[in-house]
Amino acid sequence: MSPGLTLATPFTSFRAAWNRFFFEPQSPLNIAVFRIIYGLLVLATALLLRGDWLAWYGPHSWISAATMYVVEPGTRLNLFSIIPQTDFAINALFVVFILAAACLTVGFCTRASSIVVYLCLTSIDQRNLFILHGGDTFLRVSGFFLIFAPAGAALSVDRWLRIRRGQETAELRPRLPWAQRMIQLELAFLYLVSFWWKMKGGAWTEGSALYFIFHLDEFQRFPIPQFLLRPAILRIGSWAALALEFLLGTGIWIKKFRYPLLVAGVLFHLSLEYAINVPLFQWDVLSAYVLFIDPADLARFLDRFVHRNVNAPTAVRS
Amino acid sequence: MPRTAKSNPSSSTPNRSALKPWQKIAINVFIVFHIFAITAWAIPFRSQFANDCRELVRPYLLWSGLFQAWDMFSPMPKATNTYLQAVIIYKDGSTQMWDFPRMELLTLTQKYSKERYRKFVEILLDQRNAALRPDVARYVARLPGIREKNPQQVWLMVKWSNILPNGDGTFARTPLDQDVFFRYDVQPEDLR
Repeated sequence: MSPGLTLATPFTSFRAAWNRFFFEPQSPLNIAVFRIIYGLLVLATALLLRGDWLAWYGPHSWISAATMYVVEPGTRLNLFSIIPQTDFAINALFVVFILAAACLTVGFCTRASSIVVYLCLTSIDQRNLFILHGGDTFLRVSGFFLIFAPAGAALSVDRWLRIRRGQETAELRPRLPWAQRMIQLELAFLYLVSFWWKMKGGAWTEGSALYFIFHLDEFQRFPIPQFLLRPAILRIGSWAALALEFLLGTGIWIKKFRYPLLVAGVLFHLSLEYAINVPLFQWDVLSAYVLFIDPADLARFLDRFVHRNVNAPTAVRS
Repeated sequence: MPRTAKSNPSSSTPNRSALKPWQKIAINVFIVFHIFAITAWAIPFRSQFANDCRELVRPYLLWSGLFQAWDMFSPMPKATNTYLQAVIIYKDGSTQMWDFPRMELLTLTQKYSKERYRKFVEILLDQRNAALRPDVARYVARLPGIREKNPQQVWLMVKWSNILPNGDGTFARTPLDQDVFFRYDVQPEDLR
């Protein structure tokens, strides 16, 4: 074997793996289901804010736009910096945001809707950076990559119209998954970096972290059974959270571990949803789990609920 | 149920999965750049090289909204229960306390819609965000029921109780302590 060949082989196999991962066509069903869940979560985010639109973003808000630009300088994609600072204009922006999110959810003018949703979402976040939680960040980043995904290629009004006009058959056609892969990478990255941050603090490695968290009044949602608050149990819980975050960031890419990890992740987030008051964060993160399901499994699952509207994908790879 | 297609579009429409070479190169550049930028920004690794990378991608990430931090409850979770109050002193010498929404006192539905206040209070108590406090004091002074009574000063006061570990593995709370950490003289134009 020549030296050139030995050097070329790893590169060739890396390139092949890269191309398979980002460019081998896949059923658009997963990204379509993600789009629907994502749209509903964006709607929920906007509606939960409804009572405080003007308090957080209005001309006389808690933090003025002028202060925001001083404290967080830099050129930013922010529609608030170009619209008039009036109650009417601020409310109008939210109405546009909600309409775009509704269109995205049903898959009407999907690409344009996803762009408008992203523009509004990132503007809302940029206008007041001091009230955001991780769920907002995940929605924003995944919303950016969703713009580039074939999100309207299945389960959408757009597709229904294309079929009616004879521009498309009823059979789903595989599409390039690279934008979907970016959202998947973002989810795995979220877990891995969270794990990394936690490893930097003694409370997580020694196992006392959950005790502090569960005794912070502001985070308490539903009562936790007393036996679960014993130091030994909380220590195991802290370590389990660390282990799970690491595994969800790494093992989720290994097919035989994927479903068990997804189930563990769902249980993990649901338990946090029960115990900790961070609205929508758990659901925002869970929304991207659908991207890790084998398209054939997802099609079978959906077929039970929406017969004949979901066709088996012609190419399956996850 | 959608109508059946009138012709066979799959034979006449171009393959949407096929990319021209320049398109594939562009997408690859896009992918590699974003993986690099997001990683450089968000990993908790401190070195000169990492800082240089962060500075390199900062303008783009701030502009695009792709900045991110995944440090919730870490590296150390908070070990203090804190509550924020505003003390309003009126021109006639009377005072009034105004409570920021406290999550533990809200109903479940209110917790969902008012959780932003939890984060906001956490931010306000951080000395690095002291520049936000005048705006907050002004907002309190403008609140209905306060503005009409001619507020002269607004103080921001924090109350806190530490969560302390005992030797036997259990924990205890210290008694509430308090501190006025910001005072603001209300100006006439603040009330307009």
